[in-house]
This record gives sequence, structure tokens and C-alpha cells, in this order.
Amino acid sequence: MNQTAKSKKFRSKKRAAILGKVGIYAILLLITACMIVPFLWMLSASIKSDREVFQMNPFVWIPEIPKWDNYIKIWTKIPLLKFVENTVFLTIVVTFLQLLTSSFAAYSFAKLEFKHKNALFLAYIATIAMPWQVYMVPQFIMMRQMGLNDKLLAMICLQAFSAFGVFLMKQFYEGIPGELCEAARIDGMSEYKIYAKIMLPLSKPALSTLTIFTFVSTWNDYLGPLIYLKSESKKTIQLGLKMFIGQYSSEYGLIMAGSVLSLIPVIIVFLCLQKYFVEGVASTGLKG
Amino acid sequence: MDEKKAARLQKLETEAAALMGKIRAEDDIEKKKQLIAKRERIQSQANSIKNNRRISREAKRDLVAYSFIAPNFIGFAVFTLIPILFAFVLAFMNWDGSNAPSFAGLSNFARLPQDTFFVAALKNTLIYVVGTVPLTMIASLALAIVLNQKIRAKGFFRTVAFFPYVASLVAITAVWSMIFHPSKGPVNYLLLTVFGVDQKNLPQWFSGGLVLLTLILFSVWKYMGYYMVIYLAGLQGISGELYEAGSLDGANTWQKFLYITWPQLRSTTFFVVVMLTINCFKVYDIAVMLAGGGDGKLSTSATVLVYYIYQNAFNYWDLGYSSAIAMVLFLMVLVITLIQFRYEKKISE
Amino acid sequence: MRRKMVSVLLTGAMLATVLAGCGSKPQDSGNADAGTDTPAPADTTQADTPDDAGDDADAGAESAGGEAVTLKWAIWDKDTTPYWNALKEAYEASHDGVTIEMTDLGSADYQTVLATELSGSGSDFDVVTIKDVPGYATLVSKNTLEPLDTYIADAGIDLSQYGGVDKQVTVDGSLYELPFRNDFWVIFYNKDIFDAAGVDYPTNDMTFEEYDALARQVADPTFGSQVYGTHYHTWRSAVQLFGVLDGQHSILDGEYDFFKPYYEMVLSQEDDTICRNYADLSAEGLHYSAAFSGGDVAMLNMGSWYISTLISSLQSGEYDSSLCGNWGIVKYPHAEGVEPGSTLGTITGLAVTSVSENKDAAFDFVAWVSGAEGAKVMAETGNFPALMNDEVSGIIAGLEGFPSDEASKEALSVSNLYLEVPYAENVSAINDILDTYHKSIMNREVSIDEGIASMNEEVGKIMAQ
Repeated sequence: MNQTAKSKKFRSKKRAAILGKVGIYAILLLITACMIVPFLWMLSASIKSDREVFQMNPFVWIPEIPKWDNYIKIWTKIPLLKFVENTVFLTIVVTFLQLLTSSFAAYSFAKLEFKHKNALFLAYIATIAMPWQVYMVPQFIMMRQMGLNDKLLAMICLQAFSAFGVFLMKQFYEGIPGELCEAARIDGMSEYKIYAKIMLPLSKPALSTLTIFTFVSTWNDYLGPLIYLKSESKKTIQLGLKMFIGQYSSEYGLIMAGSVLSLIPVIIVFLCLQKYFVEGVASTGLKG
Repeated sequence: MDEKKAARLQKLETEAAALMGKIRAEDDIEKKKQLIAKRERIQSQANSIKNNRRISREAKRDLVAYSFIAPNFIGFAVFTLIPILFAFVLAFMNWDGSNAPSFAGLSNFARLPQDTFFVAALKNTLIYVVGTVPLTMIASLALAIVLNQKIRAKGFFRTVAFFPYVASLVAITAVWSMIFHPSKGPVNYLLLTVFGVDQKNLPQWFSGGLVLLTLILFSVWKYMGYYMVIYLAGLQGISGELYEAGSLDGANTWQKFLYITWPQLRSTTFFVVVMLTINCFKVYDIAVMLAGGGDGKLSTSATVLVYYIYQNAFNYWDLGYSSAIAMVLFLMVLVITLIQFRYEKKISE
Repeated sequence: MRRKMVSVLLTGAMLATVLAGCGSKPQDSGNADAGTDTPAPADTTQADTPDDAGDDADAGAESAGGEAVTLKWAIWDKDTTPYWNALKEAYEASHDGVTIEMTDLGSADYQTVLATELSGSGSDFDVVTIKDVPGYATLVSKNTLEPLDTYIADAGIDLSQYGGVDKQVTVDGSLYELPFRNDFWVIFYNKDIFDAAGVDYPTNDMTFEEYDALARQVADPTFGSQVYGTHYHTWRSAVQLFGVLDGQHSILDGEYDFFKPYYEMVLSQEDDTICRNYADLSAEGLHYSAAFSGGDVAMLNMGSWYISTLISSLQSGEYDSSLCGNWGIVKYPHAEGVEPGSTLGTITGLAVTSVSENKDAAFDFVAWVSGAEGAKVMAETGNFPALMNDEVSGIIAGLEGFPSDEASKEALSVSNLYLEVPYAENVSAINDILDTYHKSIMNREVSIDEGIASMNEEVGKIMAQ
């Protein structure tokens, strides 16, 4: 009697667990569908003709005659290559500078003692809460005075020295035991060497996280380039795409082909680095 | 040369002695500490002169530390700190960017309440923030909890949820405006054919009362993957023992969430809400791309603060006024962040 | 203590920048003031040759061109707009020693970009193209343009040749630009659609009632094979400015009740699927050329700049000529009791910057482009010069690809031209307010009356300032 009750209870518990699992998968699939359908739509529309894009009855994902030449035409309709070149250049330089200078400064904040340390760090922290839009106008006026208007260099200056990067790297370095550095110092290593030989190799997760953040935000930035980059030969892919949409509003297939192309680099970077990503976020104290 | 040195040494030493006296007389511990630090500095300067060293060990240490900071800090100071201070000054000026600026006092701020477009922008921005912050938080937390379970293809689901965050705004808003197209889009087509909504009543997703809802939905969709990763990192920091103890006490899933997960995630939630609030106040490109139509202009139903800052600066060249609006934006972010800090502190005490 | 020091340092640094920013300003504004008050001394050389505009241009160039002069000229869309290069080459060919250097600022935000370029120091443009009146107003108020009055008087240019357009952009008695291109609005129509529906073509003398009836007659709202009787682009000009054609009203009035009948007409056309829905157009950002070349729009009200686009796009095969190849134009419809031929215009002008070091040479170029010779170059590339006369319209009507019917040719003659936006100090802000509420009305967020009431109120506020 007792035995059967127990096994009944056990069974019902098991059933509940299975039901729960099914429920979880159902929710997950639903969310995944919401997340991915717009991207599938984008891919599908990029090989359709303009009339097929909005054809609902019947709706097909892959048209009978896929228009692959959308992917070729888009390069000639707008100077896409130039836009890609500019964006790649900007993104790589900004990401590189950001990683280098942030990790450099963060090492100092995390592992060294010096005068005005707290005041300097406070200056960084205070600006994290300051939306860029608050000071974009004075910043622009200043840059123009420096002759940086309509120069890619302006975008580099703007994005390469963020407070966020220093903050993120500092949080990570603080998690590395100080004894490591102390031991190296006793061995007579200079601070620069300690940074290069000990800290940097340890900070892969944090660097990956920062790379993803910087890469994504630079590649996808819109308002910054809109304000600073005016002539067509300086424009980034986001501005170029927006310009194209303005001019060829009804060429849906081409617009979508351009959109797909603009996504590829970020997605590659993300997929390459994502295995460090959650670890990086966890160890950089971003979780709070 | 040597005479000079001797004189300087003399001066430093008398200074140090004088400070010693002051330190003895001082009662306030904080001030005492400061004085002691000052005396030490003077003493070490004196020592370095005595030992014929050009710079003291402390100074050398500082220099090394500064050399690490300098590359970033110089860029940061020139391109961020100075413009920020400049923005504060500008809010009290009248300037068109060409003619000589003049002092405006508070007149830029006095104009704000009468400005219909500013009021509309403020209202829309607040609605957007109030709608987006809780929704994104709940959605990302729920997703993180689900993805923290033992399930198959975890990596795949995680990657997919992060996709919208990585995707460029221009590309993805183009897709959204097709999917939600008022008369041809698949969403309205479903409403028409499956749900039997009358053609006249089909929702106009990008104008009127619905446009803010569309913006909110879009933001939740785009950014929930990002905050999910942060929550996921937070969840992984919670020790499994807590849950085991909870199971022993017979807690059900909901109770475990309420009494273990939620309190343990408090600091993560704090961080997420602060970041979300800041990011939501900055909304601009989403609004322009989803609601701007062909010319990128926003009507009163969709205008937001940053759009109005941009308009005033680059279209009307009323730089002082645009800076004043920026100050309002900043003040709101500041107040909300401070309130959250307070709250966080109170709870943790 | 430490914090204090940092803040002192920063404040110092900031002050330095602010001062540096302002330091260069008095110089600029001083320059501009000098221009307004006293004629630049160099002008006298030009005054020596008081011939007619054309001859003077040559003489001016010689006097300015003792040595080689390079003029920097701000333009947009160099590759897709044929006349920039044609103007440059023709001018350089007839003026030895002058080189024109063009800088393409793109058309999308041209005026914003230009205003940015000209703000503060550092710009080296001599001649700038002015795309629209709000942009012109901004540049004038920023003291970045040179007043041209003394130059015009010295060169003996007769402003009446511009048909009064110059008066609509005069600022406090001074003119800062000379128009060289003048587009006016007409009705484009697709003859094939009218033929298929068995409806008569539109004419050069239509009242708005007739126009509305015609649009309704030719439209076919059957789902799937829809034909739209007419099409309104999302610009406010496409609807609001029907109201100024009677000559009684202007968009600077501050009272906009006269928009009402036209909003009613367009919205009811929308309701009956006579034209495309504004909300749809706005959501997809549909360009008017895409709408007309799609072959399902019978009539389109649009500026004359679309003529050369249509001709060249049909020739290059970019537009399918089976869809829109058989087109024509007629004059704008008119209100009851008003003479036909009144229409809206948009001028494009050239101005000399106040920082230019070669103002005489720059003005000479401006005068040449906006004069008879420039007009000829413009017409040959299929565009409408500001200096319109029979010869010029003859050139355009004779272009290959221009519709051969008489009505289309006749449509080129304009009796009254009202600028879409005449000059006013706050024209930029007024323009934006009218845009905003146009959007709200067309999106049906507010009723026509509410929208117009808001326009009256907001523009009133601006005018009261």
C-alpha cells in the first residue's frame, strides 16, 4: 500500500518533469521562431523579385526562380565596396585601439597604486551613465574646429577611448589574484612585462567580450557616422544601406540582399568569439 | 647648484616640521590622515634630494601607472570629458555655431515647457522607457532561466537569441517595416485572413497611437538577447547548494525562484535595469528608421528627445537650446540611476 | 582635494577650447559685416565694364584672372546630375585661367552638410549651391554668405529677367543668391492607362473638381489589378500647396485654413482607393519615381525635374517603357475662377561665401551660370533654367524623348510662379511644423481641423518670437 503510493507519487513527479521539459521546449521554440523568422524572411526576400516579396497566397520561402543576381546587382547600384572598405577599416582600427588602450589603462587601475587613482576612475565611471547624445553636439563642434569633420579619423577618436572598455577590463583584472603580479615583481619583471606576459594572456574571455561589444557597436553605429561622415566616399555600410533604401524604396529584393551582406561580418565575429562570451560577461562583473 | 639644493632641502624640512606640529594639534582623524600623507610626500621629496635621486620612488611608480593610463585617458579626456563640460556651458548660451555666442542665462530652459514638440518628445521618451525597461527585463530573465536548465542544443538557442542584438539596425528595421507593412505585410495579412480583422481596422503599426508600441516591441526583441547573457552569467554564479537545500525543504519551482533566484540576482537586476534605462533614454535610430518614413522626420506621435536634440542642433542651429534639452535628458538618467542606487543600497543593508 | 584639482584642470582645458572656438568667430562675422556695410574695394575693377550680363562676365573673368584662379564649388550628386560638369566645362572653356573644382556633398542632407561646412572657420568654398530656401535662410542668418547687391548693380544685371522669383528670396533688402535653375510643378500622366480606361487625357485647363473627377474616373480599385487615378508623394508640398495657387495665400501666412479643401479631397481619394494610402507610402518610403514607373499610376503631381529623369531612365532601360513609356504632362489644376498656369516653383541658386578670397571671380561664375549662357547649358541637359524664355522651352520641348503632343509643350509655359517656400527668417522652423502636422493629418492621427489648428497655433508661436 505504502509502496504503491510512493511509486505513484514518483511516477506523477516524473510525468510532471516530462511535461515541464516539453513546456520549456515549446516556449524555447516559440521564442526562437520569433527571433529567427525576420532573418529567414530577409534571406528569402533577398532572392525574390519585387512582386514576389509580398505575395502571401501562396507564400513560399524559396521562389521557383531564385534571383541570385540581386547579390551581384547591389554592388553596382551603390558603391557598396567603398562602404564596406570604410566600415571594415573603422571597425578594425577602433576595436584594436579599444582593446589595447582599455586593457592598458585597466591594468593600472586594477593592479597599481598611484596618486589621484580614485578621482581618475571616478571620471570614467561618471561618464558611463552619460548618454553620448548629451554631448554629441559640443563634441561635434570641437571636432570640426580640429578639422576632423568628414574624416574617418573623427569616428576613430570618437569610439576608440570609451569608459566602458576600461571599466569592463578593470573588473576582470581585479578578479586575477594580486600575488601573481607580486611574484613577478620580486623576480624583477617590469610592470610593462607583467602586463604583456602575465595579464594579457589571461584575459582572453574579457578581451573577447569587449571585442564583440566594440565590433558590434562600431559596425552598426548609425548616428555617429550620420553626423560626422558626409561625403559619399567616406560613408559606412549602415549609412549606405539607409541611403539605398531611400533611393530604391521599392526594390525589396536588393534592399534585403544588401542587408544580408551587412550582417555577415558581425555574425562571423560573434560566432568565432561566442564560446568565451558568457564566461567573459561572468568574469568581468558585468552581471553586477 | 648645490647651494640651491641645500636651500630647497632646508625649506622642505621646515615645512615637514611645521606639518608635524599641525598633525599633533589636529583632532579630526580624516584631516590628520591628509596631513600625514602630505608630510610623507614632502619627506620623500627631501629624501630623494638627499640621496641625489632625480625622482623619488613614488614619483616613478606614479609615472609608470600614468603611462599605462595615458593612451586611453588622453583620448577620453579630449573627446569625452571636455565635450561634456562644454555641453553644460552651452546650455546657458545662445549660439548658432557661426556668429559670436552670447550668454543666455536660463532662457533656454524657460522655453522648454512651452515647446509643444519638446513636451511631445519628453512624453514619448518616457512612455518608451516605462514600457521597454520592465518588458525587456522580464523577457531576458525568463529566457536566461530557461536556458540555464539542462536542455539540448543550449548553445544554438543562446546564439539565436543573441542574433537580433548583433544584427545591424538599418537592415533589421527594413525587415520589420516589411513584416508589419500596414496593407501588404504578413502580420496584417494573418490578422485579416486568420483572425478576421476587418480591412478598415487593420493596425497601422508605424503611425498614430500604435507606433510607440511597435518601438517597444522592437526594442524588446532586439535587446533581450543581450540582457539574457548578463542574466545567464549571474545565474551561473548562484551556488547549486542553495537549490538543493530548497528542494529538501520541499520548495516548488516558483518558490525556488522567489526565495533563491530572485534575491541572488539582485545586483545583476540592478545592473540590467540601470543599463536598460540609460540605453532606452538614448533611443533615436529605432524611432527614425521605423517611424520616420521616407524623409526620416518624426511627427509628434513618435518624436523622441534625441531626435529633437539633433533637429535643433543640425537643422535650426540653435545649439544652446539643443544642449538644454540634452541636459534634461541627462538629469532624468541621473535621477533614475541615483534612485536605483539608493534602493539597491537600502536593500543590501 | 584631489577631485578639486582634477576639476580645476578640466575646467581650464574646457575654457581653452571654448575660447579657441569663439576666437575665430569675430573675424568671420566681421568679414560678413564688412560685406554688408561697404562694398569690397576690389569691386571697382568690375564696375569699369558696365556692359550687359554676358559680356561683363568675360570682362570680369579677365580682370580677376590675371593669374590662375581656382574656385571651389559645393554641389551634390555629381555622377547622376549631368549639368554640373557641363556648366564647369563650358565656363572653363570661355574663361582662361579659371579652374572650377567641384566638391560633392551628396543630396540627402545637402543643406545640413553645407551649413556644417560653412560654420566656423576652415571652409574654403568660394561658390556654394543653395538647394532650398530653408537652407538658404540658415546660411544667411549664420552670416556665411556674401550679399550680392553691389556686385549685381556693378555688373548691371537686370533682376526682372527672373520673373519676380528674386523678390521671394530677398533678405532685408539684400539678395544673397542668384537662381540658375527653376523647377515648377506639373501633372505627369500615363497615356496608356487613360487609353485603356477609355477616358480623355487631362488638359491644360482643369479645375480641381475636374481633376478630382478625372482621377476617380480613370482609377480601377479592383484588388489585384489596381490602377490608381493619381498619386501624392509624401511631401507636404504635394497636398498643401494646391492651396497657395490662387495667389491669395502663402505658407508664411500663419493661418492655414485654406489647406482644408485640399486635404479633404486627397483623404477622400485615399478612402476610395483612388490614390495610394499615405501610411503605406510612408512605411515603405516609396519613391515617387517607383510609383509612376510601376505603370499603375495614372497621374502624378511632381516637379519638372522629373522630366529629365523620366527621359533618361526610359532611354537607359531602367524604366520599363511598356509600363510608363507613353507619358505626357499638363499644367497644374487651378481653383475655380483663377487663370490656369499658376504653379509652384522651387529654385536652385548659387551664392558666394563670405570667406571666399576670390569673391569677384566667384561672382562672375555665379552670374554666368545664372545668366543666358548658363541657361542654355541647363536647357540642353534637359533642365529648366531660372532664366526661362521661349528659346529655352523650345530646346527642352525638342529633346529626344519629350512627349510630342502640343499640350505637353504648352504645359511648359507658366503664368504665375509661387515658390514652395519663400524666404522668412524662421522658415526652417515653420517648414518643419507644417511637415509634422501634414504627417499627422495624412496618417489620420488627428482630424483635418485639429491638424490645421495645431499648425496655426505652433506657427503663431514662432511668429510671435
